[in-house]
Amino acid sequence: MTNESAAQNGNAADDKQIPSFAVKAGLAQMLKGGVIMDVTNAEQARIAEEAGACAVMALERVPADIRRDGGVARMSDPAIIREIQEAVTIPVMAKARIGHFVECQILESLGIDYIDESEVLTPADRTYHVEKHGFKAPFVCGCRNLGEALRRVAEGAAMLRTKGEAGTGDVVEAVTHVKQVRADIARAQAVLASEGEVGIRALARELEVDASLLKRVAEEGRLPVVNFAAGGVATPADAALMMQLGCDGVFVGSGIFKSGDPAKRAKAIVRATTHFRDAAVLAEVSTGLGEAMVGINCDSMRPEEKMAGRGW
Amino acid sequence: MPTLTIGVLALQGGFEEHINHLRKAAATAYPSPSPYQFNFIQVRTPSQLESSKGLILPGGESTTISLVAAESGLLEPLRDFVKHRRNPVWGTCAGAILLADEANATSTKKGGQALIGGLSVRVHRNHFGRQVESFIADLDLPFLSSSPSAEAQQPEAEVETAAAASSSSPSTPSPFQAVFIRAPIVEAILPIASESTEGGAESGASPLPVRPPVETLAVLPGRKHRAGFSRPSESDAPDAIGDIVAVRQGNVFATSFHPELTDDVRIHVWWLREVVRAVEAAADEGVGGEKTRGPVPVTSV
Repeated sequence: MTNESAAQNGNAADDKQIPSFAVKAGLAQMLKGGVIMDVTNAEQARIAEEAGACAVMALERVPADIRRDGGVARMSDPAIIREIQEAVTIPVMAKARIGHFVECQILESLGIDYIDESEVLTPADRTYHVEKHGFKAPFVCGCRNLGEALRRVAEGAAMLRTKGEAGTGDVVEAVTHVKQVRADIARAQAVLASEGEVGIRALARELEVDASLLKRVAEEGRLPVVNFAAGGVATPADAALMMQLGCDGVFVGSGIFKSGDPAKRAKAIVRATTHFRDAAVLAEVSTGLGEAMVGINCDSMRPEEKMAGRGW
Repeated sequence: MPTLTIGVLALQGGFEEHINHLRKAAATAYPSPSPYQFNFIQVRTPSQLESSKGLILPGGESTTISLVAAESGLLEPLRDFVKHRRNPVWGTCAGAILLADEANATSTKKGGQALIGGLSVRVHRNHFGRQVESFIADLDLPFLSSSPSAEAQQPEAEVETAAAASSSSPSTPSPFQAVFIRAPIVEAILPIASESTEGGAESGASPLPVRPPVETLAVLPGRKHRAGFSRPSESDAPDAIGDIVAVRQGNVFATSFHPELTDDVRIHVWWLREVVRAVEAAADEGVGGEKTRGPVPVTSV
């Protein structure tokens, strides 16, 4: 359990008014059923907004390029973020490195609507994620299982997403992660039913999570905050698959602007996310989309090439 | 028992929260034995809209909802539902933007955005600024105290039920914890006369019914001077009044804030009763041989 004080985070609780958790988590609830798209400039941001994106993620490079270029991946240049904020009226998110609370302070000062503490960038701390309660801006974090999910919520994350495997165009890891979270929740429910609080405490030790949070999840049968799919979603069918698996919405990273016709594909993924159970609509929007991003098969990757292993 | 279907537009946003609140509100306002079998549905298609007697337009992104509605062939059916057939509708946040006749052009996306309309107001999107300026405020909502004139229209048997449900103080309701998230406000109430001359897509259709005046149901006092954001307010509401955050005009009700994000179901209870009242009034009108508008609202199962 992380126990950094606000002061260690550089967030001395001075006169700054921190919005309540309900306000932070509430924006995520308003993003549900929507598609959040990675964009690298104002022009792409406008294409995303016109296609019906419910928010954009302002980046210097999309994950596929970060993966190709290698080296250290950091927070974007504020000039790019400001340019994108000026271009659109929908919420603008941006990524900070895991544990890099100063990047988060900078993003907050820019008026970013959601900070993604993201494994897609190079982690800045081997031990701690950012202590997120002390920020005015809400945070979204990645997870591969219920343990990671609840550790992030305990640190103050107001929204979750699957990690998937960003920049690959292969949805297999996102599917694995959302199913793992579901299986973990089912297990917590079974433990609560059969062994009660004692069982929950034992499971909380095993998962390394807060027992009261785990109990709440077991009682409600769902995560305490909104959970989107991310990491490898490249087609309307991928988006609908993640929605049918119970995700609340979809992040699309490289999948749109690394494809042949970004505007058309973006629109198609938005419609597929709304009408995710309507196969006739899905067939219609999947038709004639041009080339999808080439993609990388996750099974052909070496473990150290995967971004999802970053964070804990 | 007659079934009453009420829809929540489910193209994007916080629609599940509204459905959960409507279920709780139904249990509160119409406890067993309820005169109606309530059926709360997610609306994504014209046929689902057609089956609904009332509709909530939830919070979300107004640009997204508007674009997906257009792509799904729902924009015109929604306009017909609100403006011609004048069914009860309630928009929260993004939903309120969609129900406005106008949105301040500096606050809309480049190139503008399609609205449903029906409410003679101009809204200002993201009025208080970005997410870091979002907040919760206690709001006085006098309309939640049971209005005698409205209750008097109910059959006597139902007055008891209604009175029992609103057992909390009948005169001054306690403040409502209003959640404002990148919220819009009503920055101007528009003259009613203007929309009867509305042309464009409406021309050729039957003339729109004349609208009643816009009632201001809630204001947020003094907020725009307290907020520490850089974007100046463009509201033309006088400082003494504050920002208008809830209005009603006939069948159309709109709130800037999100009652569905709290545990308080009072506004949902109030609106559900308004829907039932409208449905019963329309049924009476149909029985009385007046010109019928669409199908008879209440169907037996």
